[in-house]
Amino acid sequence: MKHFSLSSTAVDVAQLHAVLQHPGSGGFCTFEGWVRNSNEGREVDGLEYEAYAELAIAEGERIVGEALARYGVNAAHCMHRTGHLKVGDLAVWIGVASAHRDEAFRACRYIIDEVKHRLPIWKKEHYLDGDTAWVACAHTHRAHEHEHLPAHEHASEPPFVPDYSRQTRLRDVGETGQAKLAAARVLVIGAGGLGCPVLAYLAGAGVGTLGIVDGDRLDASNLHRQTLYDARDIGELKVQLAAKRIAALNPTITVQTFAEPLHAGNAADVFAQFDLVVECSDDMRSRYLCNDAAVLTSTPLILASVYQYEGQLQVVTAKPDAPCLRCLWPQQPAPGVAGSCVESGVLGPVAGVLGAMQATEALKVLLDLPRPADHALLLVNLIEGTSQRLPIDPAQGCALHGGCIEVARRALAQAQDEQVVDVAFDSLDEAIATGYTLVDVRELDEIGDRPLPVLSRQLPSSQIEARASELASGRVLLVCSTGRRSGHAARKLREKGMRNVHSLAGGIAATHPVRDHVPG
Amino acid sequence: MTTVTLQYYAQLREQAGSSGEQLTTSAATLRELYDELRVRHGFSLSADALKVAVNAQFSDWGRALGEGDIIVFIPPVAGG
Repeated sequence: MKHFSLSSTAVDVAQLHAVLQHPGSGGFCTFEGWVRNSNEGREVDGLEYEAYAELAIAEGERIVGEALARYGVNAAHCMHRTGHLKVGDLAVWIGVASAHRDEAFRACRYIIDEVKHRLPIWKKEHYLDGDTAWVACAHTHRAHEHEHLPAHEHASEPPFVPDYSRQTRLRDVGETGQAKLAAARVLVIGAGGLGCPVLAYLAGAGVGTLGIVDGDRLDASNLHRQTLYDARDIGELKVQLAAKRIAALNPTITVQTFAEPLHAGNAADVFAQFDLVVECSDDMRSRYLCNDAAVLTSTPLILASVYQYEGQLQVVTAKPDAPCLRCLWPQQPAPGVAGSCVESGVLGPVAGVLGAMQATEALKVLLDLPRPADHALLLVNLIEGTSQRLPIDPAQGCALHGGCIEVARRALAQAQDEQVVDVAFDSLDEAIATGYTLVDVRELDEIGDRPLPVLSRQLPSSQIEARASELASGRVLLVCSTGRRSGHAARKLREKGMRNVHSLAGGIAATHPVRDHVPG
Repeated sequence: MTTVTLQYYAQLREQAGSSGEQLTTSAATLRELYDELRVRHGFSLSADALKVAVNAQFSDWGRALGEGDIIVFIPPVAGG
């Protein structure tokens, strides 16, 4: 469903309301913005909204999407009017349906604040004296910028004083080590079977800032290995649950949450804000992305993964000449090749053991405790009760392909490229030369009228979702007359996980050889 | 013929139905050995997707088999 709409005419609110009906929702919150009869002391007769429609819709979709992710609500929609409105008319309508009222209120507030702040919509006021003026939107107070975690709300209770004596007693830790931990910023990616012990141990140890990345909601099938949560938490966003538990465990630390997985466009920037990253996801793409971001930002990374009764552990120090994940397995395996907990199963404590080992490695790095001088992949087999430490020779890894940094840079650039939906080319030949397979998504009669001058597949946009399996596995470029249908189709396919699909920006009309023949 | 000890991890262990085995083979290199095992156990992963270690050291696939080698095949895993 569309999350945001612009309307140049009055809208039936009952219809907007009906679309958000959801059996799992126990709370529904709406906000209506009306045209008021005065502004800053001047009497207003009515007003006029003018929108940069394409941008406003895209940004509006983004805002509502953010609210959905941030507060974990079930459904939300925002409608903004354009055109002439009279006093009392409905200018903005926002509805949010959620399991519980609190998130509904907060998401509603988030949407209106962000809409006022970010949407490219301009307001022209018509005053009773006949004058008119475009009104700029001043900085909006955004309540969510001032939200605190619940653990900090009980000001009346005496402040918690942590006691780290059991670890500061260790000669290699001491007060100096404790100060290092307090100053440390650690990002934990994935708050699941590995992430739960990592977060709990690092919070308990007094790591000053903990970032948590996770886009998932708690499922009942997680509870056998994800020990931060309980049965009442099912359906909630893990990142919020984990933040709450961690803040309760050690109220003196700062918790930052990221409710969406990192992507090629932001991973390196996020990594640069942390001293160390612990990769605990169950996603091979995340493991490779983290490896590349760690190498490029010189951020130490603790990798682990589990399979049934086994686990693997690797510390990527991200120092010059130290090996990385790609030194072992240069290419990310195709989806489905690497084992996962969903498909293959895992014994709960196996994740716990490997997670605890990750936490240990993280503390060793932060405290600069003695570690083996060489680098190794550790294989742990909890059925056999064995572990095997395999030294990694950096000279046999990425060094053969230009070094870890160069390899990571290329991989990240390619991932970024795959992330961009709309790509521009001066000619279709250029697109083919860059490695794209072209797919013409126009209807067959349109293609008959004006066939593409180059080799392409034909798959009308109306059928493309149903026939998605026919598309090539390499980089695919969807092409239509203006880029609108191809852009829409590319986004739909990407929602299904086909990140290799792109759209030709501006369509055929924007390419050179044809542009000359297109009137206007 | 060379006799070697094999250890399987993750998917390979599951597909082989055991953690390891001793094997006498005519294969000359690790790659030939893995190709032979792929047929025998129906391993779904190609050698390119794996790491191989011999006597607790990572190795390249062209390495010749030695009598008594302990060989470990390691696929990447992603569970968390």
